[in-house]
Amino acid sequence: MSTEIIKTVGVTKCFGALVAVDRVDYSLRENEVAGIIGSNGAGKTTFFNLVTGYYPPDEGSIFYKGRDVTRMTPQQRVALGMTRTFQLTSTFDNLAVIDNLVLVYFRAHRDSTLLKLLLSTCRRHRNEDKIVATLETFDLQHVRDRLVKNLSLGEKRRLEIAMAVLAEPQVLMLDEPLAGLAESEIKVILEVLGRRVGKQTILIVEHKISHVKDFVQRLTVMHEGRVIADGGYEECLSDPEVRRSYWQIDTEQEGSKHAAA
Amino acid sequence: MAAMVNAWRWWWGILLAFFLVGLSRLFLPLPFIIEVLIFSIYTMGCSFLLGRVGFISFGQPAYLAAGAYGTAFYLFYFGSNPYVGILIGILSGLAVSGIVGPLFVRLRSDYFALVNLALAVIIYYLMQKVLAGITKGDNGLWFLTNIASTPVLDLGKPDHFFIFSILVALAIWAFYKYLDDSVFGACCLATKINEDKLKFLGYSNYGVRLLAFVIANTTTALAGAMYAVYLGFVSPEITSPARAADPVVVTILGGTGTLFGPLVGAIAYTGMKDVISKLIGNWELFIGFLLVFIMLAGEKGIWGTLQPWLERLFSRKKASPAAGEGAGARQ
Ligand SMILES: Nc1ncnc2c1ncn2[C@@H]1O[C@H](COP(=O)(O)OP(=O)(O)OP(=O)(O)O)[C@@H](O)[C@H]1O
Ligand SMILES: [Mg+2]
Repeated sequence: MSTEIIKTVGVTKCFGALVAVDRVDYSLRENEVAGIIGSNGAGKTTFFNLVTGYYPPDEGSIFYKGRDVTRMTPQQRVALGMTRTFQLTSTFDNLAVIDNLVLVYFRAHRDSTLLKLLLSTCRRHRNEDKIVATLETFDLQHVRDRLVKNLSLGEKRRLEIAMAVLAEPQVLMLDEPLAGLAESEIKVILEVLGRRVGKQTILIVEHKISHVKDFVQRLTVMHEGRVIADGGYEECLSDPEVRRSYWQIDTEQEGSKHAAA
Repeated sequence: MAAMVNAWRWWWGILLAFFLVGLSRLFLPLPFIIEVLIFSIYTMGCSFLLGRVGFISFGQPAYLAAGAYGTAFYLFYFGSNPYVGILIGILSGLAVSGIVGPLFVRLRSDYFALVNLALAVIIYYLMQKVLAGITKGDNGLWFLTNIASTPVLDLGKPDHFFIFSILVALAIWAFYKYLDDSVFGACCLATKINEDKLKFLGYSNYGVRLLAFVIANTTTALAGAMYAVYLGFVSPEITSPARAADPVVVTILGGTGTLFGPLVGAIAYTGMKDVISKLIGNWELFIGFLLVFIMLAGEKGIWGTLQPWLERLFSRKKASPAAGEGAGARQ
């Protein structure tokens, strides 16, 4: 029996008249690999933002390991063990690839008080084993010293995921990490994430369900701010409400049937 | 290995730059070079804030005045050792930036620019009117004759002060070079461009900015303290709102956020001022036009334009373009 690590109770977020997230109850167990899917504007990113503390919910509460974190800042939540990526790739474009990783490494594995930040040079940490290994895993060695603004979109995305994985959080939250990547890159990333299964809780938002179908153990479907289905892959897809509101699943499924035939 | 070669190249660059400044003593008047050195230290703080942390401040004279008046009060009322005076100037800069920093660095960058200007105006009127009893108002504090002579480097002597200025500037450049290489320096660049991401890595944008603010403005106060000792005189003119944009202009002129930009900018600006004021009466107007033209011509500034050219010149001998690419771009 693994314990609950993230739990939301009736969280709601409105933007003006629009209810982006509507009374969502959600819970994630430790070391679970879960996916959230839903059409454009379903509220997936907003839900992520609420859980990670980008903004507070209008109503409802968020718990981390039984502790109420609803009013905590993002830094406090990171310190508790949450790490996220952003849907629009978010890195430090004015730093070299390696220094992006050094920043993550330093925060996660070193004492990162202001004084320590001041007393350590980036150069000394650029060859840490974990950083070197991460560069290798995500195939970024050849761009190690390049400024991030000169990377391709695929490389940038890989870097952001590499940063999240390097932080070794207890909960890894990925917002559409596979968007804009080539099939070969997607394979690499799913493989890397696959190696973390069982060691880490992973929550992944994905648009194309086919990508994460074999990867996630559990699926949640959102539509217009509400959770409309939650459970196994087959279970979700056969749900009538899902079929009605999320037509894309239909086509995806047809597609995969064709492929199987 | 490559990193070490690279680091050595940049230390060497700093030494070379100040060796050239020292050499210029042979053919340039001493007051000019000293002015350049102090002005470049003054600009360094501003350039760091603007180029590394993304804060533009139109109130740098406030911190210059904090340093200058700290030194001046000590040398006028209490003591005579110029080194102690400078130390007190630095400490008062530290105190002022430590007090206003926690309020200012929370602001959006446009308000940050203005609130600093407001502080400069407040300090101007404090020194000119409100505290006129101790600051002697517009007449200023004169303490040149109070400054005691000191062993080894006697700051009362212009030649000794010149050597002192070079040493201080060298130390400041070494410090900022180190800062660029530190993890903190990377945090500064990170908060400048993507504060959300930094926050979600678990860093405090506020902490990083506050420390950067205090470091930069303590540097500025050091320049003020040096002015005070060098001139033996401080008046409210030093924090005149009319001069508020000077360090910003020189920062951009030299090349924002680059290591050598403040030095190159200070040379160019002081030089222009000197040459043009000798030729025409309304030199300030003329310099204004000239600066507008220069900034329209190249937003990279003088050093930003020169640097790639110099790099090519130096790296031709040991061609290793890949090694320095990341770090080189951060200079
Ligand atoms: N900051 C905001 N201000 C106003 N409206 C917003 C804001 N953020 C999101 N919304 C709206 O809230 C709704 C949910 O958006 P959200 O980004 O959470 O959807 P999503 O499920 O992530 O969609 P996508 O698949 O396109 O990423 C959308 O209608 C969106 O326009
Ligand atoms: Mg989204």
